[in-house]
Amino acid sequence: MRLNVRFSGAGGQGVILASVLLAKAYGLGEDYNISQTQSYGPEARGGACKAEVVISDENIDYPKVDSADVFVAFNQMGYNKYCEQVGKSAIVLVNSTLVETEDENAYCIPATDIAEEMGKPFVVNMVMLGALTKLLPKIYYPTVEAEIKENFSASIAGPNIEAYSKGYEYMANSSCSNSQFLIE
Amino acid sequence: MDKSATKAGYVVLQGNEACVKAAIYAGCRFFAGYPITPSTEIIEMMSEEMPICGGAFIQMEDEIASSCAIVGARWGGKKAMTATSGPGFTLMQEAIGYAAVTETPVVIVNVQRGGPATGQPTLSSQQDIYQARYGSHGDYEMIALAPSTVQEMYDFTVKAFELAEKYRTPVVLLADEVVGHMREKIIIKKGTMDVMPDKIVGTASPRADFFTGKNVLVEGQLHDERGRRIGHLAEKSGEFITKLNSKISNNVDLITDIKTYFLEDSDTAIVAYGSVERPAMDAVRLARGIKDDRVSATVKFVKNVFRKGVPAAMRTDYSHLKVGVIKINTPWPFPQGELRRLTRDVKLVIVPEMNIGKYYREIERALPDKKVVSLPKCGGNLHTPKEILDTVLKEMGVNE
Repeated sequence: MRLNVRFSGAGGQGVILASVLLAKAYGLGEDYNISQTQSYGPEARGGACKAEVVISDENIDYPKVDSADVFVAFNQMGYNKYCEQVGKSAIVLVNSTLVETEDENAYCIPATDIAEEMGKPFVVNMVMLGALTKLLPKIYYPTVEAEIKENFSASIAGPNIEAYSKGYEYMANSSCSNSQFLIE
Repeated sequence: MDKSATKAGYVVLQGNEACVKAAIYAGCRFFAGYPITPSTEIIEMMSEEMPICGGAFIQMEDEIASSCAIVGARWGGKKAMTATSGPGFTLMQEAIGYAAVTETPVVIVNVQRGGPATGQPTLSSQQDIYQARYGSHGDYEMIALAPSTVQEMYDFTVKAFELAEKYRTPVVLLADEVVGHMREKIIIKKGTMDVMPDKIVGTASPRADFFTGKNVLVEGQLHDERGRRIGHLAEKSGEFITKLNSKISNNVDLITDIKTYFLEDSDTAIVAYGSVERPAMDAVRLARGIKDDRVSATVKFVKNVFRKGVPAAMRTDYSHLKVGVIKINTPWPFPQGELRRLTRDVKLVIVPEMNIGKYYREIERALPDKKVVSLPKCGGNLHTPKEILDTVLKEMGVNE
């Protein structure tokens, strides 16, 4: 199995952190081989930002993603830039607060709205990560949760875990959710 | 971030972070540097780790000072390292030459970015391949290691310290942005290893090591075995320079580290160093029809097929192509002998590089009876496997 995941969004949305946590969860929690890369502009915030995670049970030679099996868009700019470079039957997950898509099969979650309702707009990446965890194969809620706890100090782990669980639950309750079609 | 270098086991680290862990494992206890993308993580993490493990970290005013500081620190008895990228590496050349002539074992990490000048801070390249070898003035030999994975970034950093101490010479770890910023699962070792070698190989001035209680005279001018100036004596100077170079050039085969994949039956070889080896490897798997499939509804079926062997009908059109990979881990000193031996049965050699096509010239010179094709890629992106495969097909005359 080789799973190519691409995240795109703006610098400051936590795109890279979300990808790192996913990579750690697959790599350390589930014992897959992982390779996480990123590209970003010189700006600290606002510039285009892309992160890629390759997950495989074999050696990973080419560490980047050509055609994504899973595409996660945090904002419209990122969506427009990479929405063409996805494989057939790819999982597309978008932050529907900021992204308008014509793709009927895309999974939508108003992540920015959810984060702002919590009063903590910076946890948008955790909401997306929660939703993504529900959609992806071979990854489980506690594995990612453990990596989030590991990554943050105790004082800020709380809101991040809360956002993560909200994202997961939203996707679990969403009518179109179906994580089974990828793997038979 | 894992704070302690003494914890062993599997970790997910960035290449730059792995380099820091490895340096501390190898006994590096002095780091001087000036932050520059894409090597900043090394400096950042060193500033945290050095005080923890009892070493010293200094952020210097620039790269010239950084490289001079590590030479001085090694004279003071501590293993020392600095890290930089393109523009900083240019500034460090003066002290690299000085370390070479004073036979000071130091490690310089160059996480390459695009150049010339300020160039491309956030994109990758392999443009400094010749600068690593010939950057400073005068006749000296250089050892450079090129990692392609995060695990290799860890292993080669340790190896760089070993080689530096063994040959009493500066060693360059020639990484690039792709490896430096990539995160992978690696295994790191516990504690600190003593990399001091049993035997120091044929130094030009075989004196006591620095800071071992003996008086040591250090001299940037050409000097005799006791450190006295001989720059005005042509004959003795000639002997010194010959010795300085031959301690490495006579041991090329010992230093050389080359890995080969699928080369046994190949008539075409892709020669790569650094991160470009990875798409090259993927291209070879594609060419031989053994590429693992993408996750899809047929993944189960395909996996079964892999277990039982690929039936002929399922192979791609190219699966009869005999392509292999030669991965050069030590681009300098140039592994001429080993390369010639490995390519005995090969007719076509393809050299993909993230530059205008530089190392290709060395390979072409070393293999005059082979067809050597350069596959340069400029702009800062890694080659895709498809690009390399296309060149292989074109040069082999398939599907034309």
